[in-house]
Amino acid sequence: MNQAINAEELTYYYSSLLAVDHISFGVAEGEILGFLGPNGAGKTTTVRILTGQLRPASGRAYLLGTDVSRNVEKVQGQIGICFEVTNLYEQMTAIENLNLFARLFGVDAFDADALLERVGLAGRGKDRVETYSKGMKQRLMVARSILNQPEVLFLDEPTAGLDPTSSEAIRRIILEERERGATVFLTTHDMMEADKLSDRVAFMNQGKIVALDTPHNLKQQFGKRALKARVLNTSGELEDREIVMDDPQTPQAVQELFSSENVVTIHSEEATLEDIFINITGRALVE
Amino acid sequence: MNPRLIGTLAQKDLSIFFRNRFFAVITILGIIAYLVFYFVMPGTVDDTLEIGLYSPVSIPAFEDIDEEGLEFVTVTSEEQLQQAVIDGRFIAGISLPADALARLLAGESPVINAFFAADVTPEIKDAVAMVIQELGYTVTGQTLYIDVSEEVLGLDLGGTPLPPRDRLRPLLAVMLIMVETMGLATLISSELERRTIDAVLATPATVADVFVAKGIAGTGLAFGQAALFMAIVGGLDKQPLVALTALFLGALLVIAAGFIIGAVAKDVLSVLAWSMPVIIILLIPSIAIAFPGSVTGWVEALPTYYLVDTIHRASNFGAGWSDVWQNLIILAGFDVVLAWAGVVVLRRRMQ
Repeated sequence: MNQAINAEELTYYYSSLLAVDHISFGVAEGEILGFLGPNGAGKTTTVRILTGQLRPASGRAYLLGTDVSRNVEKVQGQIGICFEVTNLYEQMTAIENLNLFARLFGVDAFDADALLERVGLAGRGKDRVETYSKGMKQRLMVARSILNQPEVLFLDEPTAGLDPTSSEAIRRIILEERERGATVFLTTHDMMEADKLSDRVAFMNQGKIVALDTPHNLKQQFGKRALKARVLNTSGELEDREIVMDDPQTPQAVQELFSSENVVTIHSEEATLEDIFINITGRALVE
Repeated sequence: MNPRLIGTLAQKDLSIFFRNRFFAVITILGIIAYLVFYFVMPGTVDDTLEIGLYSPVSIPAFEDIDEEGLEFVTVTSEEQLQQAVIDGRFIAGISLPADALARLLAGESPVINAFFAADVTPEIKDAVAMVIQELGYTVTGQTLYIDVSEEVLGLDLGGTPLPPRDRLRPLLAVMLIMVETMGLATLISSELERRTIDAVLATPATVADVFVAKGIAGTGLAFGQAALFMAIVGGLDKQPLVALTALFLGALLVIAAGFIIGAVAKDVLSVLAWSMPVIIILLIPSIAIAFPGSVTGWVEALPTYYLVDTIHRASNFGAGWSDVWQNLIILAGFDVVLAWAGVVVLRRRMQ
């Protein structure tokens, strides 16, 4: 499969601070890559380099085979970006915002109403954006990022701080865009979202990519599966028991649990991406 | 650069500008207020002209001179006389030497100094000379040749005396231009503050497209208003191309000032804080034209001096290209240097 994004030894400094430290990775066409990391890990800087907003101190970024630094305009015509901060023209209506960016992208055949309906903003297109709630603005940002039917879609924390309805609407659009054939670069520190949507996830910490694989493989490699049981002890109080799975002793431990304890509930539990991130980096995604 | 993208961005800037109620009101009411202000000012000059007189010795005959439309006011020193002419209190001043009376009575021709304001007409100069000759006749009873030494104080424009509102016209036109500095700076500052510039630059639009679009929007607003004002108040009647060129170059100054202020200001309030002193300083040369003698030569260090002076000369005295080309070149030079500085500062802020 062709690579939609190819980063080679990207490095970036803010003054003397090394924000991105020689990272290399690729994203296949049609793939959703979850880019996970805590605040300040270098995620947004990486997005800015890949989208031509920042020039790397060293290394090269290729989008759809084009060197980003050498042909920014060509690259930017093929991508869509949903920024972390809300940066809409708030004095303008939603339709005016979309029409403005359609003209900047050179999109002639464009139905703003249909796009607004798709993101759940039907009937609000003629309202000024300053009257929108945060969730509505974010949905409009997503609409703006896909109006040129981008081949690569960059979404920087698209659901941060949103209500469940808005978050779900945005997740649905991400999957629809993947269905259309777009490659999605999803920056987030929401491990549940990344786990749910991503084909692969990359963990970024202190400017470096410390792990990159499918969620399943990462869990296999770094996580531990376990059986969590709740038992009633002799004093009549509830206690938790944990049995590590994938261990030669597991069958015997399960047998002993049921023969010696009064088991109330039992269920299996997988490691989360959060657990794995902590396991790898020693720090949490949200600090 | 892409003309289609520049057009789209400039259209967006103008649209956002007029959605800001503050600037929309300032722009529309500003023109109306300046027009009202212009038209309520006297449109004609006072028929009675005051002439200052300094004489170390009393010459009673002078009090008998009765020229229609001339009124003599006595001052106590020649310095006071000159300053009053410079300040515009007298259209002319006559300074008699201490031996004037004695020489006249002896049948000799004394030298009498006559001081004139910068824009006094030849007719008034002739009238003053006639008054002096009449003085000689009144004192001696015979026609004597009196040597009159004429001195123009300040810039000799040699035109007609200006009605106050025409004297104010350059000030009002330049105010219209300069106030747009605040509008452009606010547009830029809010783009940076709200990060909408990031969204624009993530499209095929380049930094150059953004700069040019902002320049077009800023120049269009400033130049359009000032040109409209000048057209309505008759400021384009005499040398329209010269006046319009000056207004255009003045509007380019707005871009430079707007870029610099927009780049250094953090928000709309700080735009206001930065803009006011800049605008006030840039308006000082206009005050010098509106109120002659109120400002000294240092105003020539300000770029707007060359703008105001050109507008004043072209609209009030019909000065042509050959009269003001130096002004226009200096003004264009200021435009280039300041616009370059503005682009550099703004580019750094955007990065």
